Amino acid sequence: MRIFSKAVFVFSLVIGAGTGCSSMGVEPWERDVLAKEEMQLLADPVEAGLDDHIYFSKEASSGGRGFGGGGCGCN
Amino acid sequence: MIRKNRKSIAATLATATCSLLGNSIPEPVQAQEEPGWDFNTALLYYVEGDDRVDDLSLNVLARKTFLDDRSLSLGFAFDTLSGATPVGAVPFDSVQTLTRASGRSTYSVPADAIPLDATFWDTRYAIHANWQQPLGRLYSIDTGLSASFEYDYTHIGANFKLSRDFNKRNTTASIGLAFASDDMDPEGGAPVPLAPMLDVGDQSNKTGDESKDVIDVVLGVTQVISRNMLVQLSYSFSDSSGYLTDPYKILTVVDPVTGDPVPRVLAPGAEGPSHEYRFESRPDSRTKHSFYAQTKYYMSGKVLDASYRFMTDDWGIDSHTVDLRYRWPVGENKYFEPHLRFYSQSEADFYRISLVDGVPLPSYASADYRLGDFDALTVGLKYGWTLASGNEMSARIELYKQDGDAPQDQLIGNQLTREMYPDLDAIIAQFSYRFGR
Repeated sequence: MRIFSKAVFVFSLVIGAGTGCSSMGVEPWERDVLAKEEMQLLADPVEAGLDDHIYFSKEASSGGRGFGGGGCGCN
Repeated sequence: MIRKNRKSIAATLATATCSLLGNSIPEPVQAQEEPGWDFNTALLYYVEGDDRVDDLSLNVLARKTFLDDRSLSLGFAFDTLSGATPVGAVPFDSVQTLTRASGRSTYSVPADAIPLDATFWDTRYAIHANWQQPLGRLYSIDTGLSASFEYDYTHIGANFKLSRDFNKRNTTASIGLAFASDDMDPEGGAPVPLAPMLDVGDQSNKTGDESKDVIDVVLGVTQVISRNMLVQLSYSFSDSSGYLTDPYKILTVVDPVTGDPVPRVLAPGAEGPSHEYRFESRPDSRTKHSFYAQTKYYMSGKVLDASYRFMTDDWGIDSHTVDLRYRWPVGENKYFEPHLRFYSQSEADFYRISLVDGVPLPSYASADYRLGDFDALTVGLKYGWTLASGNEMSARIELYKQDGDAPQDQLIGNQLTREMYPDLDAIIAQFSYRFGR
Protein backbone atom coordinates (compact mmCIF):
# COMPACT_ATOMS: atom_id res chain seq x y z
CA MET A 1 0.00 0.00 0.00
CA ARG A 2 3.00 2.32 0.30
CA ILE A 3 2.85 3.08 -3.37
CA PHE A 4 -0.74 4.18 -3.05
CA SER A 5 -0.09 6.52 -0.14
CA LYS A 6 2.64 8.05 -2.28
CA ALA A 7 0.23 8.35 -5.18
CA VAL A 8 -2.31 10.11 -2.97
CA PHE A 9 0.46 12.46 -1.90
CA VAL A 10 1.36 13.26 -5.53
CA PHE A 11 -2.31 13.75 -6.33
CA SER A 12 -2.66 16.26 -3.46
CA LEU A 13 0.42 18.11 -4.70
CA VAL A 14 -1.04 18.35 -8.17
CA ILE A 15 -4.37 19.59 -6.79
CA GLY A 16 -2.47 22.17 -4.75
CA ALA A 17 -0.54 23.24 -7.82
CA GLY A 18 -3.77 23.56 -9.78
CA THR A 19 -5.18 26.19 -7.45
CA GLY A 20 -2.61 28.73 -8.55
CA CYS A 21 -3.45 28.32 -12.24
CA SER A 22 -3.66 31.96 -13.19
CA SER A 23 -0.05 32.66 -12.24
CA MET A 24 1.27 29.66 -14.15
CA GLY A 25 1.96 28.89 -17.71
CA VAL A 26 4.08 30.10 -20.57
CA GLU A 27 4.04 32.73 -23.26
CA PRO A 28 2.94 31.62 -26.74
CA TRP A 29 6.55 31.63 -28.00
CA GLU A 30 7.61 29.25 -25.21
CA ARG A 31 5.52 26.34 -26.41
CA ASP A 32 8.19 24.51 -28.41
CA VAL A 33 8.47 21.62 -25.95
CA LEU A 34 4.75 21.42 -25.17
CA ALA A 35 4.01 21.19 -28.90
CA LYS A 36 6.04 18.00 -29.27
CA GLU A 37 4.00 14.93 -30.01
CA GLU A 38 5.42 12.98 -27.06
CA MET A 39 4.28 15.78 -24.72
CA GLN A 40 0.61 15.42 -25.66
CA LEU A 41 -1.54 14.02 -22.85
CA LEU A 42 -2.80 11.31 -25.18
CA ALA A 43 0.40 10.65 -27.12
CA ASP A 44 -0.71 7.33 -28.62
CA PRO A 45 -4.52 7.15 -28.85
CA VAL A 46 -4.61 3.67 -30.38
CA GLU A 47 -2.44 2.14 -27.66
CA ALA A 48 -4.44 3.97 -24.98
CA GLY A 49 -7.68 2.63 -26.47
CA LEU A 50 -6.32 -0.94 -26.53
CA ASP A 51 -5.15 -0.68 -22.92
CA ASP A 52 -8.48 0.76 -21.79
CA HIS A 53 -10.24 -2.13 -23.48
CA ILE A 54 -8.03 -4.77 -21.83
CA TYR A 55 -8.34 -3.30 -18.35
CA PHE A 56 -12.06 -2.65 -18.75
CA SER A 57 -12.46 -6.35 -19.54
CA LYS A 58 -10.36 -7.62 -16.62
CA GLU A 59 -10.97 -5.14 -13.81
CA ALA A 60 -13.98 -3.48 -12.18
CA SER A 61 -12.84 0.08 -13.03
CA SER A 62 -12.86 2.05 -16.26
CA GLY A 63 -12.61 5.61 -17.50
CA GLY A 64 -10.90 8.44 -15.66
CA ARG A 65 -8.84 9.76 -18.52
CA GLY A 66 -11.91 10.06 -20.70
CA PHE A 67 -15.23 8.32 -21.05
CA GLY A 68 -15.83 4.98 -19.40
CA GLY A 69 -15.11 2.82 -22.39
CA GLY A 70 -16.85 -0.48 -22.67
CA GLY A 71 -19.21 -1.51 -25.36
CA CYS A 72 -18.39 -5.16 -25.04
CA GLY A 73 -19.70 -8.24 -23.30
CA CYS A 74 -16.17 -8.92 -22.23
CA ASN A 75 -15.00 -12.20 -20.80
CA MET B 1 1.03 45.28 -33.00
CA ILE B 2 -2.07 45.23 -30.79
CA ARG B 3 -4.19 46.64 -33.61
CA LYS B 4 -2.96 43.90 -35.91
CA ASN B 5 -3.88 41.19 -33.37
CA ARG B 6 -7.34 42.63 -32.95
CA LYS B 7 -7.82 42.52 -36.66
CA SER B 8 -6.84 38.87 -36.83
CA ILE B 9 -9.18 38.01 -33.94
CA ALA B 10 -12.01 39.75 -35.73
CA ALA B 11 -11.16 37.86 -38.90
CA THR B 12 -11.11 34.53 -37.05
CA LEU B 13 -14.45 35.27 -35.41
CA ALA B 14 -15.94 36.27 -38.75
CA THR B 15 -14.61 33.08 -40.32
CA ALA B 16 -16.04 30.98 -37.49
CA THR B 17 -19.39 32.72 -37.68
CA CYS B 18 -19.56 32.29 -41.45
CA SER B 19 -18.71 28.62 -41.17
CA LEU B 20 -21.41 28.16 -38.53
CA LEU B 21 -23.94 29.89 -40.76
CA GLY B 22 -22.86 27.79 -43.66
CA ASN B 23 -21.71 30.72 -45.81
CA SER B 24 -18.88 30.22 -48.21
CA ILE B 25 -15.69 31.79 -46.94
CA PRO B 26 -12.59 32.76 -48.81
CA GLU B 27 -9.62 30.40 -48.43
CA PRO B 28 -7.14 31.72 -45.89
CA VAL B 29 -3.97 32.95 -47.49
CA GLN B 30 -1.73 31.04 -45.07
CA ALA B 31 -2.28 27.35 -44.42
CA GLN B 32 -1.80 26.39 -40.76
CA GLU B 33 -1.17 22.76 -41.48
CA GLU B 34 -1.14 20.81 -44.69
CA PRO B 35 -4.48 19.00 -44.87
CA GLY B 36 -4.17 15.26 -45.24
CA TRP B 37 -4.74 11.83 -43.78
CA ASP B 38 -2.73 10.33 -40.97
CA PHE B 39 -3.05 6.60 -40.23
CA ASN B 40 -2.27 5.04 -36.89
CA THR B 41 -2.47 1.24 -37.06
CA ALA B 42 -1.81 -1.47 -34.49
CA LEU B 43 -1.88 -5.24 -34.27
CA LEU B 44 -2.24 -6.52 -30.72
CA TYR B 45 -2.01 -10.05 -29.36
CA TYR B 46 -3.25 -10.64 -25.83
CA VAL B 47 -2.88 -14.10 -24.33
CA GLU B 48 -3.59 -15.42 -20.84
CA GLY B 49 -1.78 -18.32 -19.17
CA ASP B 50 -3.44 -21.68 -18.38
CA ASP B 51 -5.12 -21.73 -21.82
CA ARG B 52 -7.51 -18.97 -20.88
CA VAL B 53 -8.51 -16.07 -23.16
CA ASP B 54 -6.53 -15.01 -26.22
CA ASP B 55 -7.36 -12.02 -28.38
CA LEU B 56 -5.96 -10.87 -31.70
CA SER B 57 -6.91 -7.28 -32.39
CA LEU B 58 -6.43 -5.14 -35.49
CA ASN B 59 -6.90 -1.39 -35.07
CA VAL B 60 -6.87 1.52 -37.50
CA LEU B 61 -7.30 5.16 -36.56
CA ALA B 62 -7.46 7.49 -39.57
CA ARG B 63 -7.37 11.21 -38.99
CA LYS B 64 -7.89 13.92 -41.57
CA THR B 65 -6.86 17.44 -40.69
CA PHE B 66 -8.42 20.39 -42.42
CA LEU B 67 -7.60 24.08 -42.33
CA ASP B 68 -8.41 26.03 -39.17
CA ASP B 69 -7.71 23.12 -36.78
CA ARG B 70 -10.73 21.11 -37.82
CA SER B 71 -10.28 17.35 -37.93
CA LEU B 72 -12.16 14.14 -38.58
CA SER B 73 -11.19 10.86 -36.86
CA LEU B 74 -12.40 7.48 -38.01
CA GLY B 75 -11.60 4.38 -35.98
CA PHE B 76 -12.00 0.73 -36.79
CA ALA B 77 -11.19 -2.32 -34.66
CA PHE B 78 -11.58 -6.01 -35.29
CA ASP B 79 -11.08 -8.54 -32.50
CA THR B 80 -11.12 -12.29 -32.54
CA LEU B 81 -11.32 -13.81 -29.08
CA SER B 82 -11.25 -17.40 -27.95
CA GLY B 83 -10.34 -19.55 -24.99
CA ALA B 84 -11.68 -20.31 -21.57
CA THR B 85 -12.81 -18.06 -18.78
CA PRO B 86 -13.60 -18.78 -15.09
CA VAL B 87 -17.36 -19.25 -14.66
CA GLY B 88 -17.43 -18.52 -10.93
CA ALA B 89 -17.94 -22.08 -9.63
CA VAL B 90 -15.57 -23.33 -6.90
CA PRO B 91 -12.94 -26.04 -7.44
CA PHE B 92 -13.66 -29.47 -5.95
CA ASP B 93 -11.69 -32.70 -5.43
CA SER B 94 -13.74 -34.70 -7.92
CA VAL B 95 -15.01 -34.10 -11.45
CA GLN B 96 -17.84 -31.55 -11.88
CA THR B 97 -20.29 -31.49 -14.78
CA LEU B 98 -22.01 -28.28 -15.84
CA THR B 99 -24.64 -27.40 -18.45
CA ARG B 100 -23.37 -25.09 -21.19
CA ALA B 101 -24.89 -21.60 -21.57
CA SER B 102 -26.64 -22.77 -24.73
CA GLY B 103 -28.47 -25.41 -22.67
CA ARG B 104 -27.75 -27.96 -25.41
CA SER B 105 -24.94 -30.00 -23.81
CA THR B 106 -22.71 -30.37 -20.75
CA TYR B 107 -18.98 -30.08 -20.09
CA SER B 108 -16.76 -31.53 -17.40
CA VAL B 109 -14.25 -29.85 -15.12
CA PRO B 110 -11.33 -31.98 -13.86
CA ALA B 111 -10.91 -32.55 -10.11
CA ASP B 112 -9.18 -29.71 -8.22
CA ALA B 113 -9.37 -27.36 -11.23
CA ILE B 114 -10.97 -23.92 -11.21
CA PRO B 115 -14.05 -24.37 -13.45
CA LEU B 116 -13.60 -22.69 -16.84
CA ASP B 117 -16.05 -22.60 -19.72
CA ALA B 118 -13.92 -23.48 -22.71
CA THR B 119 -16.50 -22.85 -25.42
CA PHE B 120 -16.02 -19.11 -25.51
CA TRP B 121 -15.32 -17.78 -29.00
CA ASP B 122 -16.30 -14.42 -30.40
CA THR B 123 -15.48 -11.77 -32.96
CA ARG B 124 -16.00 -8.09 -32.39
CA TYR B 125 -16.16 -5.16 -34.79
CA ALA B 126 -15.99 -1.63 -33.41
CA ILE B 127 -16.23 1.67 -35.28
CA HIS B 128 -16.22 5.29 -34.27
CA ALA B 129 -16.25 8.70 -35.92
CA ASN B 130 -15.37 11.99 -34.25
CA TRP B 131 -15.41 15.57 -35.52
CA GLN B 132 -13.35 18.23 -33.82
CA GLN B 133 -13.34 21.97 -34.53
CA PRO B 134 -12.76 25.34 -32.90
CA LEU B 135 -15.77 27.48 -32.08
CA GLY B 136 -14.63 31.05 -32.13
CA ARG B 137 -11.23 31.87 -30.69
CA LEU B 138 -11.42 30.14 -27.30
CA TYR B 139 -13.88 27.28 -27.57
CA SER B 140 -13.66 23.96 -29.33
CA ILE B 141 -15.98 21.00 -29.67
CA ASP B 142 -15.42 17.32 -30.23
CA THR B 143 -18.43 15.20 -31.05
CA GLY B 144 -18.77 11.62 -32.19
CA LEU B 145 -20.59 8.34 -32.55
CA SER B 146 -19.47 4.80 -31.75
CA ALA B 147 -20.78 1.30 -32.28
CA SER B 148 -19.58 -2.24 -31.73
CA PHE B 149 -20.95 -5.60 -32.71
CA GLU B 150 -20.45 -9.06 -31.26
CA TYR B 151 -22.36 -12.28 -31.70
CA ASP B 152 -24.24 -11.66 -28.44
CA TYR B 153 -23.67 -7.96 -27.77
CA THR B 154 -24.36 -4.67 -29.59
CA HIS B 155 -23.25 -1.24 -28.45
CA ILE B 156 -24.25 2.18 -29.79
CA GLY B 157 -22.94 5.40 -28.26
CA ALA B 158 -22.68 9.15 -28.76
CA ASN B 159 -20.30 11.63 -27.15
CA PHE B 160 -19.83 15.39 -27.00
CA LYS B 161 -17.12 17.54 -25.46
CA LEU B 162 -16.90 21.32 -25.15
CA SER B 163 -13.58 22.94 -24.19
CA ARG B 164 -12.61 26.50 -23.43
CA ASP B 165 -9.14 28.03 -23.18
CA PHE B 166 -8.21 30.60 -20.55
CA ASN B 167 -5.10 32.39 -19.40
CA LYS B 168 -3.23 32.66 -22.76
CA ARG B 169 -4.31 29.08 -23.50
CA ASN B 170 -2.39 27.81 -20.48
CA THR B 171 -5.60 26.57 -18.89
CA THR B 172 -8.24 24.53 -20.67
CA ALA B 173 -11.50 23.52 -19.03
CA SER B 174 -13.79 20.96 -20.58
CA ILE B 175 -17.08 19.22 -20.06
CA GLY B 176 -17.87 15.95 -21.78
CA LEU B 177 -21.05 13.92 -22.03
CA ALA B 178 -21.45 10.42 -23.38
CA PHE B 179 -24.42 8.14 -23.73
CA ALA B 180 -24.37 4.44 -24.57
CA SER B 181 -27.11 1.95 -25.19
CA ASP B 182 -26.10 -1.72 -25.19
CA ASP B 183 -28.16 -4.77 -26.10
CA MET B 184 -27.34 -8.31 -25.01
CA ASP B 185 -28.62 -11.46 -26.62
CA PRO B 186 -26.67 -14.12 -24.70
CA GLU B 187 -26.23 -17.65 -25.97
CA GLY B 188 -29.27 -19.59 -24.73
CA GLY B 189 -30.96 -16.40 -23.42
CA ALA B 190 -30.27 -14.18 -20.42
CA PRO B 191 -30.62 -16.17 -17.17
CA VAL B 192 -33.14 -15.17 -14.52
CA PRO B 193 -30.93 -13.85 -11.68
CA LEU B 194 -30.12 -16.59 -9.10
CA ALA B 195 -32.07 -19.22 -11.08
CA PRO B 196 -30.61 -22.74 -10.75
CA MET B 197 -28.63 -24.33 -13.56
CA LEU B 198 -30.92 -26.93 -15.16
CA ASP B 199 -30.72 -30.11 -17.23
CA VAL B 200 -29.86 -30.06 -20.91
CA GLY B 201 -32.91 -28.97 -22.92
CA ASP B 202 -34.66 -27.19 -20.02
CA GLN B 203 -34.46 -23.45 -20.67
CA SER B 204 -37.10 -22.36 -18.17
CA ASN B 205 -34.38 -20.50 -16.22
CA LYS B 206 -33.71 -18.14 -19.16
CA THR B 207 -35.44 -15.10 -20.63
CA GLY B 208 -34.78 -13.34 -23.94
CA ASP B 209 -32.72 -10.23 -24.68
CA GLU B 210 -31.65 -7.66 -22.14
CA SER B 211 -30.23 -4.12 -22.34
CA LYS B 212 -28.43 -1.46 -20.39
CA ASP B 213 -27.82 2.29 -20.69
CA VAL B 214 -24.73 4.17 -19.56
CA ILE B 215 -24.40 7.93 -19.06
CA ASP B 216 -20.95 9.48 -18.51
CA VAL B 217 -20.08 13.04 -17.52
CA VAL B 218 -16.45 14.15 -17.45
CA LEU B 219 -15.24 17.51 -16.11
CA GLY B 220 -11.60 18.29 -16.79
CA VAL B 221 -8.95 20.97 -16.42
CA THR B 222 -5.61 20.96 -18.20
CA GLN B 223 -2.96 23.36 -16.96
CA VAL B 224 0.43 24.26 -18.40
CA ILE B 225 2.76 24.50 -15.40
CA SER B 226 5.95 25.48 -17.17
CA ARG B 227 7.67 25.16 -20.52
CA ASN B 228 8.38 21.51 -19.66
CA MET B 229 5.36 20.41 -17.68
CA LEU B 230 1.61 20.16 -17.88
CA VAL B 231 -1.06 18.50 -15.75
CA GLN B 232 -4.58 17.31 -16.26
CA LEU B 233 -7.19 16.82 -13.54
CA SER B 234 -10.58 15.32 -14.13
CA TYR B 235 -13.64 14.04 -12.39
CA SER B 236 -15.90 11.49 -14.07
CA PHE B 237 -19.37 10.40 -13.15
CA SER B 238 -20.80 7.26 -14.70
CA ASP B 239 -24.27 5.85 -14.24
CA SER B 240 -25.24 2.43 -15.63
CA SER B 241 -28.74 1.04 -15.49
CA GLY B 242 -30.42 -2.07 -16.84
CA TYR B 243 -29.15 -5.65 -16.99
CA LEU B 244 -25.67 -5.45 -15.41
CA THR B 245 -25.45 -9.14 -14.55
CA ASP B 246 -22.96 -11.26 -16.49
CA PRO B 247 -25.16 -13.88 -18.17
CA TYR B 248 -22.37 -16.48 -18.21
CA LYS B 249 -21.31 -16.33 -14.55
CA ILE B 250 -22.56 -18.72 -11.86
CA LEU B 251 -22.04 -19.60 -8.18
CA THR B 252 -21.77 -23.02 -6.56
CA VAL B 253 -24.24 -23.95 -3.82
CA VAL B 254 -22.10 -25.49 -1.05
CA ASP B 255 -22.57 -27.57 2.09
CA PRO B 256 -22.58 -25.32 5.21
CA VAL B 257 -20.06 -27.56 7.01
CA THR B 258 -17.70 -29.03 4.41
CA GLY B 259 -17.87 -26.14 1.88
CA ASP B 260 -18.08 -28.75 -0.89
CA PRO B 261 -20.54 -28.43 -3.79
CA VAL B 262 -23.96 -29.90 -3.00
CA PRO B 263 -24.55 -32.97 -5.22
CA ARG B 264 -27.57 -32.86 -7.48
CA VAL B 265 -29.84 -35.85 -8.14
CA LEU B 266 -30.31 -36.48 -11.85
CA ALA B 267 -33.51 -38.06 -13.16
CA PRO B 268 -32.87 -41.38 -14.97
CA GLY B 269 -31.70 -40.72 -18.53
CA ALA B 270 -31.33 -36.97 -17.96
CA GLU B 271 -28.12 -35.06 -18.78
CA GLY B 272 -27.36 -32.13 -16.51
CA PRO B 273 -25.19 -30.58 -13.81
CA SER B 274 -23.59 -32.87 -11.23
CA HIS B 275 -23.93 -30.29 -8.43
CA GLU B 276 -26.14 -27.36 -7.48
CA TYR B 277 -25.22 -24.13 -9.29
CA ARG B 278 -27.06 -20.83 -9.60
CA PHE B 279 -26.68 -17.92 -12.00
CA GLU B 280 -25.29 -14.71 -10.54
CA SER B 281 -27.31 -11.57 -9.77
CA ARG B 282 -26.11 -7.95 -9.76
CA PRO B 283 -28.00 -4.74 -8.93
CA ASP B 284 -29.68 -3.12 -11.94
CA SER B 285 -27.85 0.17 -11.45
CA ARG B 286 -24.30 1.26 -10.73
CA THR B 287 -22.89 4.74 -10.06
CA LYS B 288 -19.16 5.32 -10.34
CA HIS B 289 -17.05 8.36 -9.46
CA SER B 290 -13.47 8.67 -10.73
CA PHE B 291 -10.81 11.23 -9.93
CA TYR B 292 -7.91 11.31 -12.36
CA ALA B 293 -4.65 13.24 -12.43
CA GLN B 294 -1.98 13.06 -15.11
CA THR B 295 1.24 14.92 -15.64
CA LYS B 296 3.75 15.05 -18.48
CA TYR B 297 7.22 16.24 -17.67
CA TYR B 298 9.99 16.85 -20.19
CA MET B 299 13.58 16.43 -19.06
CA SER B 300 16.11 17.20 -21.81
CA GLY B 301 14.56 14.84 -24.33
CA LYS B 302 13.13 12.31 -21.90
CA VAL B 303 9.42 12.42 -21.09
CA LEU B 304 7.78 11.18 -17.90
CA ASP B 305 4.07 10.41 -18.14
CA ALA B 306 2.56 9.72 -14.71
CA SER B 307 -1.07 9.30 -13.79
CA TYR B 308 -3.19 8.30 -10.84
CA ARG B 309 -6.86 7.38 -10.70
CA PHE B 310 -9.12 6.77 -7.74
CA MET B 311 -12.48 5.18 -8.43
CA THR B 312 -15.33 4.48 -6.04
CA ASP B 313 -18.79 3.10 -6.77
CA ASP B 314 -22.03 2.20 -5.03
CA TRP B 315 -21.27 -1.53 -5.36
CA GLY B 316 -18.63 -1.06 -2.65
CA ILE B 317 -15.64 -1.21 -4.99
CA ASP B 318 -12.78 1.26 -4.50
CA SER B 319 -9.77 1.16 -6.78
CA HIS B 320 -6.41 2.87 -7.17
CA THR B 321 -4.41 2.94 -10.40
CA VAL B 322 -0.92 4.34 -10.87
CA ASP B 323 0.50 4.40 -14.38
CA LEU B 324 4.10 5.42 -15.18
CA ARG B 325 5.74 5.67 -18.60
CA TYR B 326 9.19 7.01 -19.31
CA ARG B 327 10.13 7.79 -22.90
CA TRP B 328 13.87 7.59 -23.32
CA PRO B 329 15.30 8.66 -26.70
CA VAL B 330 18.24 6.69 -28.07
CA GLY B 331 20.07 8.50 -30.85
CA GLU B 332 18.14 10.64 -33.34
CA ASN B 333 15.19 8.47 -34.30
CA LYS B 334 14.71 5.79 -31.70
CA TYR B 335 13.38 5.51 -28.18
CA PHE B 336 12.69 3.06 -25.40
CA GLU B 337 9.64 3.44 -23.19
CA PRO B 338 9.40 1.35 -20.01
CA HIS B 339 5.90 1.11 -18.54
CA LEU B 340 4.75 0.23 -15.03
CA ARG B 341 1.15 0.08 -13.85
CA PHE B 342 -0.11 -0.74 -10.38
CA TYR B 343 -3.76 -1.48 -9.74
CA SER B 344 -5.63 -2.44 -6.60
CA GLN B 345 -9.35 -2.90 -6.00
CA SER B 346 -11.57 -3.91 -3.09
CA GLU B 347 -14.36 -6.42 -3.56
CA ALA B 348 -17.99 -5.61 -4.34
CA ASP B 349 -20.39 -5.83 -1.38
CA PHE B 350 -22.15 -8.76 -3.04
CA TYR B 351 -19.03 -10.69 -4.04
CA ARG B 352 -19.46 -14.28 -2.82
CA ILE B 353 -17.18 -17.28 -3.18
CA SER B 354 -20.23 -19.55 -3.06
CA LEU B 355 -23.85 -19.74 -1.89
CA VAL B 356 -24.49 -21.70 1.31
CA ASP B 357 -27.14 -24.43 1.15
CA GLY B 358 -30.05 -23.88 3.54
CA VAL B 359 -29.38 -20.15 3.95
CA PRO B 360 -31.92 -17.77 2.33
CA LEU B 361 -30.62 -16.46 -1.02
CA PRO B 362 -29.19 -12.92 -0.93
CA SER B 363 -30.69 -10.35 -3.34
CA TYR B 364 -27.37 -10.04 -5.16
CA ALA B 365 -24.41 -12.39 -5.46
CA SER B 366 -21.53 -12.79 -7.89
CA ALA B 367 -18.40 -14.93 -7.83
CA ASP B 368 -16.91 -13.09 -10.84
CA TYR B 369 -13.20 -12.74 -9.99
CA ARG B 370 -13.27 -9.25 -11.54
CA LEU B 371 -15.49 -8.07 -8.66
CA GLY B 372 -13.16 -9.58 -6.05
CA ASP B 373 -10.34 -8.11 -3.99
CA PHE B 374 -7.12 -8.17 -6.03
CA ASP B 375 -3.96 -6.31 -7.01
CA ALA B 376 -2.57 -6.19 -10.51
CA LEU B 377 0.80 -5.27 -11.94
CA THR B 378 1.79 -4.47 -15.52
CA VAL B 379 5.44 -4.33 -16.56
CA GLY B 380 6.22 -3.44 -20.14
CA LEU B 381 8.76 -2.11 -22.58
CA LYS B 382 8.18 -0.33 -25.89
CA TYR B 383 10.74 0.33 -28.57
CA GLY B 384 9.95 2.88 -31.27
CA TRP B 385 11.77 4.14 -34.30
CA THR B 386 11.23 6.59 -37.17
CA LEU B 387 11.92 5.47 -40.74
CA ALA B 388 13.67 7.59 -43.36
CA SER B 389 10.24 8.28 -44.88
CA GLY B 390 9.10 9.84 -41.60
CA ASN B 391 6.73 6.97 -40.84
CA GLU B 392 6.93 5.53 -37.34
CA MET B 393 7.00 2.00 -36.02
CA SER B 394 6.90 0.64 -32.50
CA ALA B 395 6.75 -2.71 -30.77
CA ARG B 396 5.87 -3.36 -27.15
CA ILE B 397 5.69 -6.35 -24.89
CA GLU B 398 4.04 -6.31 -21.49
CA LEU B 399 3.26 -8.74 -18.71
CA TYR B 400 0.02 -8.34 -16.78
CA LYS B 401 -0.47 -10.19 -13.52
CA GLN B 402 -3.48 -10.30 -11.19
CA ASP B 403 -3.11 -11.60 -7.69
CA GLY B 404 -6.25 -11.94 -5.61
CA ASP B 405 -7.41 -13.40 -2.35
CA ALA B 406 -10.72 -15.01 -1.50
CA PRO B 407 -12.26 -13.27 1.52
CA GLN B 408 -11.21 -15.46 4.49
CA ASP B 409 -14.45 -14.88 6.38
CA GLN B 410 -16.40 -16.47 3.50
CA LEU B 411 -14.38 -19.69 3.27
CA ILE B 412 -16.01 -22.79 4.72
CA GLY B 413 -14.53 -26.20 5.62
CA ASN B 414 -12.48 -27.70 2.79
CA GLN B 415 -12.49 -24.38 0.90
CA LEU B 416 -9.78 -23.22 3.32
CA THR B 417 -7.36 -25.77 1.89
CA ARG B 418 -8.06 -25.07 -1.81
CA GLU B 419 -6.92 -22.30 -4.16
CA MET B 420 -10.24 -20.48 -4.54
CA TYR B 421 -9.22 -17.38 -6.49
CA PRO B 422 -8.26 -17.63 -10.18
CA ASP B 423 -5.05 -15.61 -10.46
CA LEU B 424 -4.28 -14.31 -13.92
CA ASP B 425 -1.08 -13.97 -15.95
CA ALA B 426 -1.24 -12.43 -19.40
CA ILE B 427 1.12 -11.26 -22.13
CA ILE B 428 0.37 -8.22 -24.29
CA ALA B 429 2.35 -7.90 -27.53
CA GLN B 430 1.75 -5.06 -29.95
CA PHE B 431 3.16 -3.77 -33.20
CA SER B 432 2.22 -0.28 -34.40
CA TYR B 433 2.79 1.54 -37.66
CA ARG B 434 2.01 5.19 -38.22
CA PHE B 435 2.08 6.67 -41.70
CA GLY B 436 0.63 9.24 -44.06
CA ARG B 437 1.81 12.48 -42.54
